[in-house]
Amino acid sequence: MGHDTAEWVFVAIVIAVLCYVGVDSWMIQKEVEDVPADAEIIKVTGQQWYWSFEHPNGTKEVNTLHLKVNHAYKFEIYSRDVMHSFNIPDWVVFEDAVPGHTNHAWFAPNEVGTYPIQCREYCGLLHYNMRGSLVVEPNT
Amino acid sequence: MKTTLIAISIIAVLGVALVSQIHFAHAQLSQTTSAKQYLNLRAEVWNEFFRMTTAAFTVGAIVSGTMIWLVWRFRESNPKNKSPTKWEHLEDPTAGSYEEEGH
Amino acid sequence: MVLELQKPRPVWQIMFSTHHTDVGYLYLVFGITFLFMGGVLAMIIRTHLFFPGQNVLVSDSATFNRIFTVHGLTMLFLFALPVANGIGNILVPIMVRYKDMAYPKLNAIAFWMNPVGAALLWLGFADTTWVSYAPYSIIRAPGPAADMFIFGMKILGISSILSSINFVVTVLKCKHPDLPLRRVPLFAWSMLTVSLMTIVAMPTYAAALIMMLTDRLGLSGFFNPFAGGDPIAYLHLFWFTFHPEVYIFLLPAIGMMYEIIPRFSRKPLYSQASGVFAFVMLGIIGFASWGHHMYSTGMDFTTKVVFMIGTLAAVPASGMHVFNFLATMWGGRIRFAAPMKFAVGGIALFFSAGAGGVLNSAMPLDFISHGTYWVVGHMHLFLIGTIGFGFVAMIYYMFPYVTGRMYNEKWASAHFVLMFWGTVQTFFTQHLLGLEGMPRRVYDYPTDFTSWTQLNQISTVGAWLIGASFVIFLASLIYYSAKGKPANMDDPWGIGGKYYYPVSAKNPHGGHSGY
Ligand code: HEM
Ligand SMILES: [Cu+2]
Ligand SMILES: [Cu+2]
Repeated sequence: MGHDTAEWVFVAIVIAVLCYVGVDSWMIQKEVEDVPADAEIIKVTGQQWYWSFEHPNGTKEVNTLHLKVNHAYKFEIYSRDVMHSFNIPDWVVFEDAVPGHTNHAWFAPNEVGTYPIQCREYCGLLHYNMRGSLVVEPNT
Repeated sequence: MKTTLIAISIIAVLGVALVSQIHFAHAQLSQTTSAKQYLNLRAEVWNEFFRMTTAAFTVGAIVSGTMIWLVWRFRESNPKNKSPTKWEHLEDPTAGSYEEEGH
Repeated sequence: MVLELQKPRPVWQIMFSTHHTDVGYLYLVFGITFLFMGGVLAMIIRTHLFFPGQNVLVSDSATFNRIFTVHGLTMLFLFALPVANGIGNILVPIMVRYKDMAYPKLNAIAFWMNPVGAALLWLGFADTTWVSYAPYSIIRAPGPAADMFIFGMKILGISSILSSINFVVTVLKCKHPDLPLRRVPLFAWSMLTVSLMTIVAMPTYAAALIMMLTDRLGLSGFFNPFAGGDPIAYLHLFWFTFHPEVYIFLLPAIGMMYEIIPRFSRKPLYSQASGVFAFVMLGIIGFASWGHHMYSTGMDFTTKVVFMIGTLAAVPASGMHVFNFLATMWGGRIRFAAPMKFAVGGIALFFSAGAGGVLNSAMPLDFISHGTYWVVGHMHLFLIGTIGFGFVAMIYYMFPYVTGRMYNEKWASAHFVLMFWGTVQTFFTQHLLGLEGMPRRVYDYPTDFTSWTQLNQISTVGAWLIGASFVIFLASLIYYSAKGKPANMDDPWGIGGKYYYPVSAKNPHGGHSGY
């Protein structure tokens, strides 16, 4: 077996694995970026060092967000000062809040419960404590 | 020849493992969307994570297995390695290269 | 030029010298000093995070934020770059058979900018994080710390461009005419590649720093959304420089492994051509992936896909290095002296870091990993696992060359075992912490999640092991450079032949058959 063949085989395997990673990610990302048409819009605003929320009916909340189970929600994410990152780890909701930009994330919780909300982009003094909670309530 | 066979079988194993995974991903996607109204976002992402870690650990097991074997087999204290390599008569055994020796 | 400690010279003779080995020693002493200063900060960070909700060592988040910022800056710009430059200074001219660097005075100037930059970073002690994202760094980061950070980075950036120009000219123009470029040893190739990359990448960041400064002064609003600017522009400029820069930190360590692995395997390198090819490939494709740091900033699908492909495209080149190392060991008769232990440990960690990196490039996984301790774990597998191990290997390898004496193999083994174990324990655990959702750059974490506390404690104990290993390292370096057994300068490890640097340095015109 030629001296180079082994290396070419190795490189081919690596490239095959990378193609697999790329195709799989492409498929999944395409899926998860597809926001359901009936998603309710929640405005999320990050500022040093708390989160505020606005429901479509105008109700405002600070740090604690109440949502209904088995509904789709689309977050419109804003920042009032520096960069933050809106994150609900248990629901894999994650997108930066960038001043001057409007970013989006969505999810459809299918389990009732209370889940932590946190900031995942450094934003200064109390970044570590920029925490809130999500309460998913039963449908009435 | 032997090496080619080994290489081909590794590719085959990897191929089978990975292709079947894509299949599972599809099956699972169609299932989640038909059974429920909304895509289960966190399940999709975590499932991808587990597929990727499977791939990473498979490749990792091969590479680190090879490394451990290399270290064990070619350490100079291995009785099989008593006789000097063919390069050791040189003033600098790392001099020269495979290419030049027409290996 | 060798046997420094056996024929002592007054310190000022080294300090005012422009000779490449002297400048190299200065870089090495400087870099190793800051390795320990950055290391002390790391120990403070990890010890503080041992207990949630407690004020161990650090009692306010302002100080904590400054500590991890300066830790990052120190390790990257005052340890990784200077040590690479130091070893490059000593070895590259020898490897291309030239009497010195191309521009000796420029070389000394480039070095002496480092202490100035270091003083600005350490006296300022900024809290911007090492990435200093706008608009925090513009509208909120307290001065004068943040301004001193800007000037410090500016000076270090210029220094790094100057030394890069020097390396490029030394290798391309001053190399001995009998030595074809493709036969130049791979360590010199790694320095050539990273120097070219620096020259392309660094000016962008230099510009961004000036823009950040004028923004801070209120003269402009490039990155300030409240003055019509866009923070995302800063992120692009920053990562256009610093994604390539992560390869700039990395490749010299890979080059050092290329020097060590064939030597202790008593065998020629598997393929010089493949090593050169992989360096050049990475040097080019490394510029196609910066956006993978910005998946979550609101990037659209197509852009994400482009940057994901750019990132994945850089992977085969790294894989080729691993293959080359393993194929070189195959069929050798390997002496596991300290340099070889660290080099092989480094390959293992390099591989696991790379596997984690492939996961990072997968766009959807960014939801899970970005901004969490996963990233801290991942990057340290490169930073400590590959760069740290590669550099330590090379420092042990050059120890006889610099001091004329031998280190003690037993203590070096103890250093290796502790450092390897500690690295795995600290940073593999941090991957799990990230998956559990713990953000990075946090002063404290809630007591509600037991798994966070447990994983943090495991990680901290690992960090202490690394710390202990470096105490052994420092003590060995000092003690054995004065009291070690005199080394056999033809062949310090008794692996046969006459190959070591004094031989090649004394016979620069072909006496050394290896080059
Ligand atoms: C004993 C070894 C080390 C330990 C225990 C350690 C620990 C840490 C920890 C815990 C953080 C995260 C701080 C946070 O997010 O709250 C961190 C950040 C960082 N470390 Fe290290 N580190 C070590 C060595 C190194 C080395 C060798 C380098 C580079 C060559 C390095 C570069 C960085 C960088 C760039 C950051 C990011 C700073 C930032 O977030 O702005 N570290 N380190
Ligand atoms: Cu924050
Ligand atoms: Cu990058």
